[in-house]
Amino acid sequence: MFAARAEIVANVWKIVAREGDQVGVGDVLAVLESMKMEIPVYAEASGFVSKVLVEVGQIVQEGDPLIEIDESHA
Amino acid sequence: MTQLDTPSVVSAPDQADHRSTLTQRRQDRFARVEPKGKRVFTARERAEMLVDDGSFVEMTPLRTAGGGAGSGVVAGWGTTDGHAVVVVSHDAAVASGAIGAVMADAIMKAQRFAIDKGYPIVYINDSGGARIHDGIFALHGCGGIFANNIEAQQRIPQISLIIGPCAGAAAYSPALTDWTIMVKEQGQMFLTGPEIVKAATGEDATAEEIGGSALHTKVSGVAHLEVDSEEEAFHATRLLLSFLPTHKGGPQKRHSSVPANPGAAERLPTLVPDKSSVVFDMNALLDGVLDNGARLELMPAHAPSILTLFGRLDGHAVGILANQPNARGGILDAKASVKAARFVEFCGRFDLPVLTFVDVPGFLPGTVEEGRGVITHGAKLLKAYVETKSPKLTVVVRKAYGGAYIAMGSASLGADVNWAWSGSEIAVMGPGGAVALLHRRALKAAEEPAKLRDELAAVYREEVARPYIAAEAGIVDDVILPEETRDRMAAALRMLTHESSL
Repeated sequence: MFAARAEIVANVWKIVAREGDQVGVGDVLAVLESMKMEIPVYAEASGFVSKVLVEVGQIVQEGDPLIEIDESHA
Repeated sequence: MTQLDTPSVVSAPDQADHRSTLTQRRQDRFARVEPKGKRVFTARERAEMLVDDGSFVEMTPLRTAGGGAGSGVVAGWGTTDGHAVVVVSHDAAVASGAIGAVMADAIMKAQRFAIDKGYPIVYINDSGGARIHDGIFALHGCGGIFANNIEAQQRIPQISLIIGPCAGAAAYSPALTDWTIMVKEQGQMFLTGPEIVKAATGEDATAEEIGGSALHTKVSGVAHLEVDSEEEAFHATRLLLSFLPTHKGGPQKRHSSVPANPGAAERLPTLVPDKSSVVFDMNALLDGVLDNGARLELMPAHAPSILTLFGRLDGHAVGILANQPNARGGILDAKASVKAARFVEFCGRFDLPVLTFVDVPGFLPGTVEEGRGVITHGAKLLKAYVETKSPKLTVVVRKAYGGAYIAMGSASLGADVNWAWSGSEIAVMGPGGAVALLHRRALKAAEEPAKLRDELAAVYREEVARPYIAAEAGIVDDVILPEETRDRMAAALRMLTHESSL
């Protein structure tokens, strides 16, 4: 299990990945908004999206898990 | 001929004894002791591998700490790319490299030599710390090494390699040097290892968890580069030395000019997204400006929102700072400030020109950063720029807002030449934030506040934030196009290094 995390305190601006999606390394899973910058959240593992842990508009802290990827089904 | 070989000549009968005695002494001392654990090479082999082939000369090779063993360290000098360097290599085959009185004295002798003669020094660290059996004499010796480390800071570059488990004094001495390189899974740095940690606090942790290269090159920032092998550590050290003068005030290592990567130079005018909120890779921008050759990025995994690297421009060795929009939006925070300040300060100490490429959304505010002391750490960056007297060239490539504008090598901090790209924005804050404050009432009363805010922000961007106000006031020297950057910087460097008058 791999969790994509927030690299900075931010507002969740877009969620690109949906539960069940197949994703590969480097795919954009979500976009955060912080300091007026659009900060993409990339998949660092291949697999399928097992859980989206946040909602659009939610404030997340640095290190918070955002989206879980199950690597066993890669 | 190595130091091990004695010349074979036909000896007179009365010479035979002392010749064979010396041969025996050398063989005893130079005999290879098979390295323990994950180590592949002996201390002497490491020193020889670091320097140019056949150039290593050991100082005091017959010195002993008693019991027939060596002093615990192989110290000497050699050359890297033909330039002299002093090397200290801990000998883990003698008491696990623990630093006793004699070993400390041998290290201090090498440090004194490097400081007095003006040569860089490389410490190959593989030591458990102070030698307990030597008691206060070991502590006194370790303290002496630290004092020399500190004296050397103002005189010569110091590089530390962490090639084995380094505890206590063997971890503190590197912290007093300029750059620390760790070999993955083989080198650790900690105050004390797992057993004593367990006894002291009850915490159960492995040596890698307490002081591995992942911890120190990503999280703590104690070390500056992680490599996969000893050979890579030596290669990185030689590369690092290739950018540095041998001592403070010494001549810079000038190479012939190499054009920028042609593809990257071609992409430069369209590389930076117009929309200031969209991220891009600053490395691609640097590719289009710098000489297309060797570079060395330090602290790549720690505070990655700012890049610190050595490279060349028009053949000059330069230190480069650049915000990296691709990591955390390119913000400055406490860690990025400390990383950047340390790098600028180092460049200043050794007269390396500092090239600053700016695209910064600001200092990251909030409870977490204030708790980390972002004000104090950000101030270190201001201080480093002001105190650095080497040539300082700054170019704003997209946006520079507020305090972060000042901190990134601005004119007010003493940059020699400042440029701004024609599409850039320089302002106290970004257009969105500025209009929210300036037009608070109008926005509150508006039927469609979001639409009005966007319109006002667009006007603000063009009328207030574009770099022409700064250029008209002379705060930015000139507004330039991306493709003009390299030539402008090269001309400024020739002028500032007095080369144009040669």
